Amino acid sequence: MSSMFGARVQRVEDDRLIRGHGAYLDDLGEDALVAAFVRSPHAHARILDIDVSGALDVPGLVAIYTYDDLPDKLAEPLPLLIPHPTLTHGRTPFPLARDEVNHVGEAIVMVVAADRYLAEDAADRIVVSYEPLPAVVGLDAARAADHLVHADVPGNLAARSTQERGDAAAAIASAPHVLELDLEIERSASTPLEGRGVLARWDDQAQRLRMWTSTQTSTGVRAAVAAKLDLALTDVDVITPDVGGGFGVKIVHPWPEEVLVPWAARLLQRPVKFTEDRREHFVASAHERAQLHHVTVGYDDDGRMVGLDVRFWHDNGAYVPYGLIVPIVTSTQLLGPYKPDAYRVEFDSLYTNTVLVTPYRGAGRPHGCFVMERTIDAIATALGLSRTVVRERNFIQPDEMPYDQGLIFQDGRPLIYDSGDYPALLAKLKDLVGWDDFAAFQENARQEGRTVGIGLACYVEGTGVGPYEGGHVIVETSGKVKVATGLTTQGQGHQTMLAQVVADELGVPFEDVEVVTGDTRRFGYAVGTFASRTAVMSGSAVALAARKARAKALRVAADALEASADDLEITNGIVQVKGDPDSGIGLGTVAVLSNPLRYAFDDAAKAATQFAGSSDDSKPPVAEDDEPGIEGRAYFSPVRSTFASGMHAAIVETDPETAEVTILRYCVVHDCGPLINPRIVEGQIHGGVAQGVGGALYERMAYDDSGQLANASFMDFLMPYVSEVPARIEIDHLETPSPLNPLGIKGAGEAGVIPGAAVLAAAIEDAEGIPVRSMPMSPSDLFELRRAYSQENS
Amino acid sequence: MTDATELHDATELHGATEVHDVRLTVNGAARTAAVPARRLLSDCIRHDLGLTGTHVGCEHGVCGACTILLDGVPVRSCLMLAVSADGQQITTVEGLADPDGTLSPVQQAFTECHGLQCGFCTPGFLTTITAGLRTTPDPDEAQAREIVGGNLCRCTGYQNIVASVLRAAEILNDRKAGRA
Amino acid sequence: MKISGVATLNAPPAKVWAALNDPAVLVATIPGSERLEPTGPDSYRITVTAGVASIQGTYTGEVSLSDKHEPSSFVLTARGAGSPGTVSTTVQVTLVDAADGRTELSYDADAVIGGMIAGVGQRMLSSVAKKMAGQFFAAVDDVLTGAAIAGQPQEVALPGAGQPAAAAQPASYIAPRPAAADGQTFTRGVLVGAGVALAGVAVGALIGRRSRLCPNQS
Repeated sequence: MSSMFGARVQRVEDDRLIRGHGAYLDDLGEDALVAAFVRSPHAHARILDIDVSGALDVPGLVAIYTYDDLPDKLAEPLPLLIPHPTLTHGRTPFPLARDEVNHVGEAIVMVVAADRYLAEDAADRIVVSYEPLPAVVGLDAARAADHLVHADVPGNLAARSTQERGDAAAAIASAPHVLELDLEIERSASTPLEGRGVLARWDDQAQRLRMWTSTQTSTGVRAAVAAKLDLALTDVDVITPDVGGGFGVKIVHPWPEEVLVPWAARLLQRPVKFTEDRREHFVASAHERAQLHHVTVGYDDDGRMVGLDVRFWHDNGAYVPYGLIVPIVTSTQLLGPYKPDAYRVEFDSLYTNTVLVTPYRGAGRPHGCFVMERTIDAIATALGLSRTVVRERNFIQPDEMPYDQGLIFQDGRPLIYDSGDYPALLAKLKDLVGWDDFAAFQENARQEGRTVGIGLACYVEGTGVGPYEGGHVIVETSGKVKVATGLTTQGQGHQTMLAQVVADELGVPFEDVEVVTGDTRRFGYAVGTFASRTAVMSGSAVALAARKARAKALRVAADALEASADDLEITNGIVQVKGDPDSGIGLGTVAVLSNPLRYAFDDAAKAATQFAGSSDDSKPPVAEDDEPGIEGRAYFSPVRSTFASGMHAAIVETDPETAEVTILRYCVVHDCGPLINPRIVEGQIHGGVAQGVGGALYERMAYDDSGQLANASFMDFLMPYVSEVPARIEIDHLETPSPLNPLGIKGAGEAGVIPGAAVLAAAIEDAEGIPVRSMPMSPSDLFELRRAYSQENS
Repeated sequence: MTDATELHDATELHGATEVHDVRLTVNGAARTAAVPARRLLSDCIRHDLGLTGTHVGCEHGVCGACTILLDGVPVRSCLMLAVSADGQQITTVEGLADPDGTLSPVQQAFTECHGLQCGFCTPGFLTTITAGLRTTPDPDEAQAREIVGGNLCRCTGYQNIVASVLRAAEILNDRKAGRA
Repeated sequence: MKISGVATLNAPPAKVWAALNDPAVLVATIPGSERLEPTGPDSYRITVTAGVASIQGTYTGEVSLSDKHEPSSFVLTARGAGSPGTVSTTVQVTLVDAADGRTELSYDADAVIGGMIAGVGQRMLSSVAKKMAGQFFAAVDDVLTGAAIAGQPQEVALPGAGQPAAAAQPASYIAPRPAAADGQTFTRGVLVGAGVALAGVAVGALIGRRSRLCPNQS
């Protein structure tokens, strides 16, 4: 039997989904009442009055709730999920606004009715009177603080955070050369095709809640809902249905709807459901990517960085339920594969009257990569050196691993790179894209009147973030293997990938392994799906669980086969003496034998009953430290994250007249250690690259000065179609195994998106000869940039 | 526990709102629904007819997840009222496979080429491509991209979707020639 | 839940007082009421079919009056229960002469809602109650101005047939059916559109027993 690890096996998820038999949140709960919300049309306002009388005549109306109806813990602000010592002024929303609203889209009234149409009818007829207040929009306004988002947060400053290693100021002061750069990235968002949704059923007899939510963390939601509704954890089930994409936005919890819907279900003694529409997703979920950076770098004649100082400002929107994760990731992952002698980073996280900002695929790395890569390119340009050579001179070398960057990472642990070979990665990339041949190509193109450019960008990614994940493996008497892990799935093929791991560990056919994720009934301790951690965390946990089950199976089989466990192997689900296929017994039979029975419930079970002669009567049927059944439960908790890395190169052509950017080639070299399913990893890279391209060239949240989101729909928020994504994404892999987990792997989920803005900025700059310091770059942006540059330089 | 909420059932509710009888042939079967005039076809298919394979991604006709075939032509069901489809033939993703369960060439290609990840946009692609291959049975890569040019996917980056279109054409031709 | 409000009625206080004391008027004007039965001095049993939005139910309640200062004020206490929930309320009603043959009526109610309907949200409940109060006073006004008719007493036959019951008191009052133009009952007519509220405030001011008000009197 060949190994499943590394196999390009087709996904087990596909058959059901391809037939239209998926069960996404809105597909469930046909019998439920439906919720809709009255949301603020103002970016900042005081609520004066809520008049619901106009809604009373709507047929099918059941309930209307405002803040005044919320009891106890529901009347408190939603949790601040990730506290941090520097987050001195953290603010989170109430589930329904109390006296003030702080962004367009903030929920004020919840309506419950027989269906969504009627609920919206009722919501439309509710009249809220406001006193509009000045809106703070954009980092400039937030910093100037002429107006405040929260009256008790001076300067709109949620947090100011600093990390430092060495004395960057001194290093820069004494450096042979110094450069300063201002770099900006604009706001975008995850925008999965399926928005958020919640369904809740309250069982009044059992006093238990069962809910489904389109989430990236069912255990997180369960804990939060149990706390808010005063229920024991064991009285709440949270089941993650099929989820139509997450990309980070669905890690936030509890959304107001996630506590209000179950609360209403319990009050009304009826199932209640909420499915957001696209506009709601734009104005009531979360965005990411808006930061402004000022870099000062001191370097020597070789282009080596002796001192790097980064000061940046992060727009966190109206509230910070997810704490400072995005800017913390920027500040630490900015260093990439490099080792400046001294580094200082300081950021301000600022409130604005806009939608909250929480991680979106990359979670602060794209910004950090953009800043570092533009800085290195600027150094190369200043010195007239090759961009690849300057990078090589700044790389951490393979023999310096593990490398301690001297900072604290987003998991609260030291930022130590465990493994990686950046010079090898760069060599592969140059080879793949034909880096050294490009100059000639560019010159030929110039002769033809074409403007082409090449860029590259390198990144490092801390994956497999803790604190832990767990896995449970059980061999059933049928021989089938059931696996459960607590984190969730949004299309990453976890059921396939984890089945591959278990099939290998146990020695069973891949088709006999069935995996369940994200169901608190099946596995109750978990963290969630984010930070490219599933393969590392759950992969390792189910591998360890499978090993326990395997050891147990061998022990039981050894008794039955009267052999030593060391002489046994499991192949294709049969336990046999090594090299003796005729000796085998099926794992299902072993499972039967592992559970001493009084009653034979079927034919196979007879073998385990008291008179079947299979037990040693000098010992108890179940040994003291043992359990019936072939099961294994294990947890994986690494000492710190494991570092994947990658480099992208892009060749672009810009149109001299229309300033359109066309990507001629896009190359990815990627190191996530050994690949469990190369097809799935490539799919993840494709998707990430598409989001990187979208974010670099097309996507931008267009807020006007009064805090209105002008492009809150797919008509005006430009997610890439097939025509915007490179026709071919060329991928090569490097595999430096991780020493930090039993499978030696690293995460791959976010890799594709991280260097998107950086690499395209670099390629455009190379084509145009104009410094690119701000992204995204639409044709109009490029047109203006050209104009401004030629004015400055004329 | 007594179910104390005495809600009107749908018929009575709609008794306060006028409903219209809509007769459709959906995936070959005669179906009827009684719906208010403003009911979207997408909601009718999903909730009144219980065929939840067709998904709603934006409700403004841009993403294409809700695409069904109306008399064979791909149509955004979120942009249609159920009452305007009265008397017509609809094919949804649930109707693409053969009665014996054999996947259609397009469905098969998607599974072979890893053309789906979360699967939410997929039904819209499947119906669109099914119709596209009828018009262009032997597309080259540019034509394949054109066929899927109006559907959004956030997961796959489209690479494997385009590959699926080309593979689907292959399978289609193989089946016609009796090779598969 | 506290609600209060005012209403202007087109009759002098004495007439308003009389109307509010007349069970035949009340059964016709309390939104959703179907039947009213005297149970003792200043007390009645009432049956009301009402809805809080689309949560419909039939409620049976007891209403009693106290603290009467004719024609200016009284206190009404009401308690009602139905499958969707329970209501218990105390209402202070004051009548003031507003000149030109009009009365300004003000009410101040304190209500406790229990059961399922307690879970539909305070604003909805108080909005529904206010709306119903408004409907009630408008209906009373219609009766006072002759625009509407009062309810019908329903006599109960006493044993000893052949003897006319002397000065018989009606055992209960039945709400009038409106003109059946749309073929709907009075109750259905109120329920369609689902705007009828629970009889909180409007399980109203029943005072003593009076013969029904002649529609031609003002």
